[in-house]
Amino acid sequence: MNSSRRQFLARSARLGVLLGAGVPLLHACGGDSSSNGAVSDPIADGLEPEAGPLRIYNYADYVNPEVIADFESMYGVKVEITTFDTDAEAITKLASGAVKVDLHHSMSPNTIGRLIAGGIVQPLNRSYVPNAANVLDAFTNPSYDPQGAHSLPYTLFTTGIGYRADRIDAATVTELGWNLLWTPDYRGQVSILDDYRESPAMAMLRNGRTDINTDDPTEVDAATASLSELIDLVNVKINIEGYKDVPEGVTTVAHTWSADMLNGANGYLPEGVGPEVLGFWFPPDNNGVVNNDCMGVLAGATSPVLAHLYLNFILDAAVAEKNFSWTGYLPAITALDGDFLIAQGYVPENLRTCVPTNDQISKALRFEPLEPDTDLLWEDAWSRFTAGG
Amino acid sequence: MTAPTLAPGRGPRRRAEQRVWAGFALPGVLWLTALFVVPVYAVLAVAFGSTDPILRVADPEWNPLRWDATSMSKVLHRVFGGDLGTVFVRTLSFVALALVGCIVIGYPVAYFVARHARRSRGVLLAALVLPFWISYLMRMLAWTNLLQVDGYVNRLLGWLHVMPTPRNWLDGDWPTVTIGLVYGYIPFFILPLYAALERLDGRLIEAARDLGASRFSTFLWITLPLSVPGLLAASVVTILPMSGDYYTNTYLSSGSPKTEMIGNQIEFYLRGSSQPQVGASLVLLLMVLLMVLMVHYLVTTIRQQRASER
Repeated sequence: MNSSRRQFLARSARLGVLLGAGVPLLHACGGDSSSNGAVSDPIADGLEPEAGPLRIYNYADYVNPEVIADFESMYGVKVEITTFDTDAEAITKLASGAVKVDLHHSMSPNTIGRLIAGGIVQPLNRSYVPNAANVLDAFTNPSYDPQGAHSLPYTLFTTGIGYRADRIDAATVTELGWNLLWTPDYRGQVSILDDYRESPAMAMLRNGRTDINTDDPTEVDAATASLSELIDLVNVKINIEGYKDVPEGVTTVAHTWSADMLNGANGYLPEGVGPEVLGFWFPPDNNGVVNNDCMGVLAGATSPVLAHLYLNFILDAAVAEKNFSWTGYLPAITALDGDFLIAQGYVPENLRTCVPTNDQISKALRFEPLEPDTDLLWEDAWSRFTAGG
Repeated sequence: MTAPTLAPGRGPRRRAEQRVWAGFALPGVLWLTALFVVPVYAVLAVAFGSTDPILRVADPEWNPLRWDATSMSKVLHRVFGGDLGTVFVRTLSFVALALVGCIVIGYPVAYFVARHARRSRGVLLAALVLPFWISYLMRMLAWTNLLQVDGYVNRLLGWLHVMPTPRNWLDGDWPTVTIGLVYGYIPFFILPLYAALERLDGRLIEAARDLGASRFSTFLWITLPLSVPGLLAASVVTILPMSGDYYTNTYLSSGSPKTEMIGNQIEFYLRGSSQPQVGASLVLLLMVLLMVLMVHYLVTTIRQQRASER
């Protein structure tokens, strides 16, 4: 007897209840897709905040615990944070219902369109978020979410090269640029980001190509070939450990995010070593990548008002400053720029390049969402490279 | 002398008893169904299913009549003659080397504990189980500290003048990954082997010695052959988790492509891509490969069991 998928799921769910194990398993497989269309209506104005708890979904260690404690004190609620490791993992768990939360703290601009179209996030009611006025102009009408209807920016960062300034002089870095990663002198001390978009895009930029969202297989293959050169040339490592490996001296040249060097300076330098040993390079012609994470309220939120109030809270200049002091990731608000952060002692002068400038934010390259077939092209190319070339 | 006859009515009673005993297996059957059959079917449904067009997450196809083999075909193409074939070969090589390491280190330990440790047996067994009390991940992280350029391993080797210049053990070398696998999985190897060696009939060993065999000959011709089922069981128990391991390589090679294992590719496709079908297909291929080993183990065990019953 043939049975429909839904009947099978229903029976499996009953079996799961019986056995105490099946339901999470089936949910984890994305069994009940939520791709039922975008949610069109935000919450009404003037609602009272819920009693909580406020359930937040975020990367680990990506928000200052003191900031969370302050929010809990201010509203008398409990905040629960569930973490994820990758953007794909976050989407899968949200779509399957395996994770039920009120607020997504770190959506990627590449994939937020899917969450909106899939009805996973709800439109924002900005009457609860007056601090949205603090957001940088570049994010008032972002391409990934027109008018910022469903999201507000959390942090922004550039991708460049973190390096040991006590081993390489700045003139060499400026002269070589991306080719610094292809320099055999640093064999065994070079790493690139474990990200199927970031690293091939970096190779494209090194090869003089600036279409980092290309759907041309030739361009993607050429970038993969360039990355494969790194295996024998410098015995490259693929990870996101630059924030500690460069300060600890294990890695001399790391393709990394700007905030990682600030994190490294704040918490990973060996005793007696100052931040002057670190450096960060970003292409002076702005042919590099600037990226951001954004926050939104989930369609299935049980505390949507509280989630809106949290967004407002985190965009407050003083709160954002406190958060930056711990995460090292620059909030996308106007009050915090390089001069301010250096004056406050959060950023050493030699790491000024870790703070994206308005010029970089407006002119640097951005990752755009890829069409499904193009996404497969990039993913498979990355898989071939990580397989050993 | 005549054979004893069964009392009238004893047959049905025995069958009833057998049913009762079979009933004891029910929790195990249900448990296995929940934690093996259903997950394997879910992997099949993902591998031969599709991707949600909007969210690009797995859309499992539960009806086998509607299964789509496109992803499996793509994976097979990449495995046989493609880049993923290299990763499979590399993985199996690491596993084979690690198994050799487990045998060389684990067999003497299991043999000693089973045959010679008397008062200290309990303590030694506890010591063997001790690593299970600490998360595998934590143990691998501990190794990264030990193996760092300025870690204790290099300091010790320098102090002993074995290696005056510090070596970067975490530089993406196969020996480091193999040593990590041996360290991580050797308790899984020793315990079943210990159980097999401990059950050996001591009278056979005594008989061999009484008949003039040397200690070495007794080991070679009596103990070793009789411990083959235990060795096979220990090998199977060790090989299965090692083959799908991905974090040992991740931590002990800093993410070098030179030591990428198939588990790393599965992780990427299942957790970091929009092609979970590819990850699930790789899982199935690995399962089939390991199934061959399991079948060999089962056939060998059944043959030996029948031989001993004759």
